[in-house]
Amino acid sequence: MAEKIIGIDLGTSNSAAAVIQGGKPTLIPAAEGTTVAGKAFPSIVAFSKDGDLLVGEPARRQAVTNPDNTIREAKRKMGTEFMYKIQGKEYKPQQISAFILQKIKRDAEAFTGDTINKAVITVPAYFNDNQRQATKDAGTIAGLEVVRIINEPTAASLAFGLDKNKEDMKILVFDLGGGTLDVTIMEMGGGVFEVMSTSGDTQLGGVDMDQAIKDYVIDEFRKKEGIDLSSNAQAAERVRESSEKAKIELSTVMETEINLPFIAQDSSGAKNLEVKLTRAKLDDLIHSIVQRCKPSIEKAIEDAKISISDITKIVLVGGPTRMPIVRKFVSDTVKSAESGVDPMEAVAFGAAVQAGIIAGDVTSDIVLLDVTPLTLGIETLGGVREPIIERNTTIPTSKDKTFTTAADSQTAVTINVVQGERPMVVDNVSLGSFNLTEIPPAPRGVPQINVKFDIDANGIINVTAKDLGTGKDAKITIESASKMSEADVEKMKTDAEKFAEEDKKKKEQVDVKNEAESFIYTTEKLVNQDLKDKIPQEQGIKITDAIKDLKESLTQGSEQIKPKLEALKAIVNEVTTELYKNATPPPGAEQQSNQEQDNSSDQPTDEQKSNPEDNEEKAEPNSDQKSENS
Amino acid sequence: MTEETNQPEATAEETNQPEATAEEETKVTESERVKLSICEDQLLRAKADYQNLERISKIEISQKVTLKTNQLMLGFVGIYEDFIRAKSALENESANIEGLEGIIKNMKSLLDENHIEPIETKGKIFDPKFHDAVSTVEDNSLEEGTITQEVAKGYISFQEVIKPSKVIVSKKNEKE
Repeated sequence: MAEKIIGIDLGTSNSAAAVIQGGKPTLIPAAEGTTVAGKAFPSIVAFSKDGDLLVGEPARRQAVTNPDNTIREAKRKMGTEFMYKIQGKEYKPQQISAFILQKIKRDAEAFTGDTINKAVITVPAYFNDNQRQATKDAGTIAGLEVVRIINEPTAASLAFGLDKNKEDMKILVFDLGGGTLDVTIMEMGGGVFEVMSTSGDTQLGGVDMDQAIKDYVIDEFRKKEGIDLSSNAQAAERVRESSEKAKIELSTVMETEINLPFIAQDSSGAKNLEVKLTRAKLDDLIHSIVQRCKPSIEKAIEDAKISISDITKIVLVGGPTRMPIVRKFVSDTVKSAESGVDPMEAVAFGAAVQAGIIAGDVTSDIVLLDVTPLTLGIETLGGVREPIIERNTTIPTSKDKTFTTAADSQTAVTINVVQGERPMVVDNVSLGSFNLTEIPPAPRGVPQINVKFDIDANGIINVTAKDLGTGKDAKITIESASKMSEADVEKMKTDAEKFAEEDKKKKEQVDVKNEAESFIYTTEKLVNQDLKDKIPQEQGIKITDAIKDLKESLTQGSEQIKPKLEALKAIVNEVTTELYKNATPPPGAEQQSNQEQDNSSDQPTDEQKSNPEDNEEKAEPNSDQKSENS
Repeated sequence: MTEETNQPEATAEETNQPEATAEEETKVTESERVKLSICEDQLLRAKADYQNLERISKIEISQKVTLKTNQLMLGFVGIYEDFIRAKSALENESANIEGLEGIIKNMKSLLDENHIEPIETKGKIFDPKFHDAVSTVEDNSLEEGTITQEVAKGYISFQEVIKPSKVIVSKKNEKE
């Protein structure tokens, strides 16, 4: 079987991951369980007061108690020089993202039962090379080889199977998340998804909608009873929970009721909250929030230089787009959307589909080719950017242009490689620069310097400058555009592994402690109740001492607990074996008890622990074991 | 005529036959052996696939049952909590609550049967594995991170959190 590659939607507030199983993408659940509302992995990393690393749901839960050591939205800082300072240590944004990826990797391994070493990760369409490279670095630090970085809207389109369409399409991807809106217009044709335009709003999302509903319910109660529930934390939480439930219900029914008995109390007695919520009312409540999405759609269409009627497909992404009100808004504004895939899972599913294509688990009619997301060029006289490779060029590609010197007798030129769509260098991102020296002195405009850009299939950029007169050349390879050296990445990788190792140790510690506690409990029960009169005093003392020893070791490490636990197990084993030997078998249990004796020496301690109270129950697993052995 | 003309050829073939048969037989056995090994390989793979499928289905079914049970029990827990609220409200009005207490007891034993236990919060130190902090209060008399109020009850089933408790947590005032 081919090696499994997972698809990861590394989001600003939440991340999700999926893997192809039985030919279909399947969401990977977080280890914290699937009952947690929303996406599986909140993109939150925190360090506890003791320096423990917390990632995902546990980090979210403690965020308000520990805001200084909690990092949210590291994605917004990817590809920048920003450093997070936590408890005297500095972390790059890609290290923080790596912690999230590491957790996803671990949970994916637990879910699939395979070791996961490779991933496809999605990024927003507007991410520049630095941000993409930083995302790749984050993967490497987490111990994942990032086999491909793909655009989030492309992934969503793949999840909806739009790559199966033969004709050329213009796709509008409307991605409304918890706190952000991204609108992307893409063109698909000839096996390539090209981004035509992107726009959005970073302060708009589902959170605003939930708040609007909660405010309405609290307001209704205030009008009726004159009591403000928002000042009572317990009541406010009950309102929040049931408002969210009502919102979800209104996606399938036209009317629902929020019923919260005994929500408050005043001099006249207990008060019950009863608020009817219709879809029309919900529409009314969130209308203004939904309407705020309109300018972003209009701007994306305008920037793409097309009209609404040119759009052939609509793809919806993000939890709030499950709501009929949002779907209706999009279909009224543009046209009706594709359906069949949960918009919360679409990006992760698409990433998994792409991963499946690479791994050979999934066949696709088209070869999804990577394109350069932004224009690459060099700086020329006066800080002007001269484009060499236009954005959306399919890679691998190679292009060159010939330049000359700007001053008389100029013997060196600096090639500054820039990326971006703006005409001036300062408004774009510099990926690196290098010098071509020893140009023979000549009047300006005479020397001919050929600058060649090569981008290979992995997106690694090679820029070569060659003096056509002397044949002398100089070059730069931009593969680590985030300017992190391999040694840095390695070091961070080791650090990240250290945390994983610590986690493992901690888990083992907890497991051993739990086992010890539960064994103490059963043994005490055995000695004090079930076999109270059957254990000889001398052995009883031995057991009591061993329990005391074990109890004392509980505050220490697992290495100290283990031998004490084993010692107690051995004594208990000895005592119970002795007991059963001397016991008169109950009628009809003769055969089993014989087996018991046969097996007593190699009997697994676990079984003694779980069923010490009952002779017959205890005999059964043994007879099973016997038949397995024979 | 045709038969006759064919005859010598056939004879010629016959004379060659022993050698050809031996060679062909080796070829046939060889190709059969290859086919057999391919079949064996496919069988082995099919068996492995089937075993995997069995294993995965088992896990999937048990996960789905657990998820559904937990969802159902959480819905039930909501109503159970309403009954407890009713009880304390009625207690305040000094009404007879014996029957209500009986109902609550029965509900509790249903939760016990399904191994649903409430998460302890009172006086405990906040632990993100079990608790979800909604806000903090300054209190220098308490150890930092002590839970001061439970906003919503949380539950565990077989040591797995099915709903974390929502709590308010103490924080020391650093200025003092």
